[in-house]
Amino acid sequence: MSVRMTGVPPTRCPECEGRLRPVGTELVCEECGLVTEGDVIDHGPEWRSFDRAERKRTGARLTRSRHDRGLSTRIGSGSRIRVTGRKRRQLARMCREQARARFETKADYNRMTGFTEIRRIVSQLSLPGAVREQACTLFESAQTEDLLVGRSLEGFAAAVVYATCRTRDIARTREEILEISRADGDELAAAYAALNRELGLPTGPIDPGVSSPVRLPARPRQRRRTPGRMVRTRPGRSRCPRRAEPERRRRGLSLRRRPPGRLRVDHPGDGCRRRRRLARDGPIDGRGDQSPRIRRCRR
Amino acid sequence: MAADGDYDVDQGARRDISREYFSRERLAEHHYRSFNAFLNRGMQRVVDEKETIDTDIGDKEGEEPVYVELGDVRIVTPRVREADGSEELLYPQEARLRNITYSAPVFMEMSIVKGGEEEEERVVDSTETKIGRMPIMVGSEKCNIAGFSDEELIDIGEDPADPGGYFIVNGSERVLMTSEDLAPNKILAEYDSKYGDEIQVAKTFSQRRGYRALVLCERTRDGLLEVSFPSVSGSVDFVTLVRALGLESDEEIVHKVSNDPEIVKYMLENLEMAEVQTEEEAIETLGKRVASGQGKNYQLKRANYVIDRYLLPHLHEEGVDEEDVRINKAHYLCRMAEACFELALGRRESDDKDHYANKRLKVSGDLMKDLFRTALNKLSRDVKYQLERANMRNRNLSVSTVVRSDVLTERLEHPIATGNWVGGRSGVSQLVDRTDFMGVLSHLRRLRSPLSRSQPHFEARDLHATQWGRICPSETPEGPNCGLVKNFAQAMELSQNVEDEQELKRELASMGVEGIPGLENTARTPADD
Repeated sequence: MSVRMTGVPPTRCPECEGRLRPVGTELVCEECGLVTEGDVIDHGPEWRSFDRAERKRTGARLTRSRHDRGLSTRIGSGSRIRVTGRKRRQLARMCREQARARFETKADYNRMTGFTEIRRIVSQLSLPGAVREQACTLFESAQTEDLLVGRSLEGFAAAVVYATCRTRDIARTREEILEISRADGDELAAAYAALNRELGLPTGPIDPGVSSPVRLPARPRQRRRTPGRMVRTRPGRSRCPRRAEPERRRRGLSLRRRPPGRLRVDHPGDGCRRRRRLARDGPIDGRGDQSPRIRRCRR
Repeated sequence: MAADGDYDVDQGARRDISREYFSRERLAEHHYRSFNAFLNRGMQRVVDEKETIDTDIGDKEGEEPVYVELGDVRIVTPRVREADGSEELLYPQEARLRNITYSAPVFMEMSIVKGGEEEEERVVDSTETKIGRMPIMVGSEKCNIAGFSDEELIDIGEDPADPGGYFIVNGSERVLMTSEDLAPNKILAEYDSKYGDEIQVAKTFSQRRGYRALVLCERTRDGLLEVSFPSVSGSVDFVTLVRALGLESDEEIVHKVSNDPEIVKYMLENLEMAEVQTEEEAIETLGKRVASGQGKNYQLKRANYVIDRYLLPHLHEEGVDEEDVRINKAHYLCRMAEACFELALGRRESDDKDHYANKRLKVSGDLMKDLFRTALNKLSRDVKYQLERANMRNRNLSVSTVVRSDVLTERLEHPIATGNWVGGRSGVSQLVDRTDFMGVLSHLRRLRSPLSRSQPHFEARDLHATQWGRICPSETPEGPNCGLVKNFAQAMELSQNVEDEQELKRELASMGVEGIPGLENTARTPADD
């Protein structure tokens, strides 16, 4: 239990003014032994529990941004031992075959393509690394839900990055993503609509005032509204999310990012509005074994 | 004996000179000069060597070949991109505190060109795009704190006395160790023993564009000359090889090696035992050696390829034709043969490998150049792959969708961060020794020998006379590294490579240096020993 209530770290013991010394993860007073601060949250990278005996690691971290979660082994080419002649050709052939055989199904291969595209977009836009992990996880969920059928992979990769940015309140407009991506606007729109509809993303409208400071790009870009009709659950109100804000303010609602009703994008091609299917629980943060975060539909 | 008064003045003047050598700019000067040369000229030269990225797209029927032309490369000062997209100048202290890399974006002009078979070549897309980020040395030209006054440095959080000369990768300061190597493109003669007999060997490390090939010419115990070079197992007869390069007749060969009667005698012995007489025969024999069991055409093709690519690659230069290059190679091999014979006759002493005239230092800029070359190659392979896939899926080819900037960035940051360099060396980049100020200075001015620490290497560890004024005689670690890890002397200055070799050669030719007979153009003086 922590004694500390405010955010300022204590310098002397509150009871006897003695000096504080860190012991393990706690700050302990040298005079009276009061434990002033115990940090129960471990901020280190070690999140799996091991018995002291069996803690062993090989290879790089598990990561969701590879199609096999970083578990595969590749026959390396740059070895210290010099291989020459026939052995070298044999090794080269084995390396090539093994590289080709890595993908068992078409789905794996598509996943790899999608991940490569995500990685490219994320690096070109200089987004933080966690965005890449989360986007790849979202892509995988989309693939498991069979949303990829009939829609382009590049469009999905772009849509997934866009969705992740929206979820994390990192402002990136569709144009910025489309400039880098190989998909065109329609593909992104279709993919994003599918994601939003089926997986239920906790995104809100991009608020330029809060999330992006003054940034002077080479050419000033127009921020467009997102395409597709926004169908609100309360009819008769303004359709534009931005213009709706003063209305909400007028009506005394708080300026929350996430409006209480569902923002559903009415995809023109869809006849029926399917209910959002289920989602798995758990936080999404790009960590190995835990499932992606897709919130349950609140209806 | 000077009068006391003179002696004092002398000492005062000497102290001033000495102090000048220890001003902040000079302490890590070799690092700055090398890295600045790399940024200004080296990067562009690497890109120019590459010229284009070719793809396999045009190979099928009905498809136009597509390739990418590489243009100018440009680098700015380090900046950081925050999560919300804003970009700001990055200063070293912020990089150290936030554990990020002090790197600057690199831009390159790329144009995708399509056509050439049926239709005209046209440029599909041409832009200057960001290809990645390059770690920048603190204090170099492109560093954000270059030229700051002491007060400005203090404001920005830097120590005014800090000498710079290191990189900051993932928050840790890393120094690239200067390493010493045998000088490339020089003929070195030495004794060696094979099967118990002492033989004479002439070696040369032929280096071109990051590829280093050892070419050996040895005189075996029966007096026969054999040449060995990469990609050919074992050795090839000297006479066969020289004939394959274009020197056919006996007189020509003997003449080119030497005019000395004893050496002529040795050469005639060699010529008697020759297996081939004409150039075609020689290439055929070589073909059978390198591609045994294949068709004749392939053998000839492979033999030519091997000669052009792996034998003495440093003799290929811009502006020299292929046939001339072959003759130059033949001349060079004859010089190596002459060195062997002179050594056998006692006219020449075996070359001292510890003499600093036979050594060159690879400083941070040279190391970064090798790294950049490999990184650029990896990037081009990736671009080629992406272009082919985009074409297969019938997408529009555009530069911004084909370039993946994290390929280059990772390939540049990872070796500096871990110390494992291209070419299999490790321990090239080390954490700056911040024990005290002297530790920092000493670390920046350190010199490493690539020789193995576990071998005795008595001669290499000895203090050599040519180290006078260049390498400190006393500062060397005790223990297994003794004599292999050295430190620069106080007044040491490192000379740099010439910028433009062609101009140097023109100058030499105008001063009267003669070209090799057979080359009409006196402006082209080929590389000499």
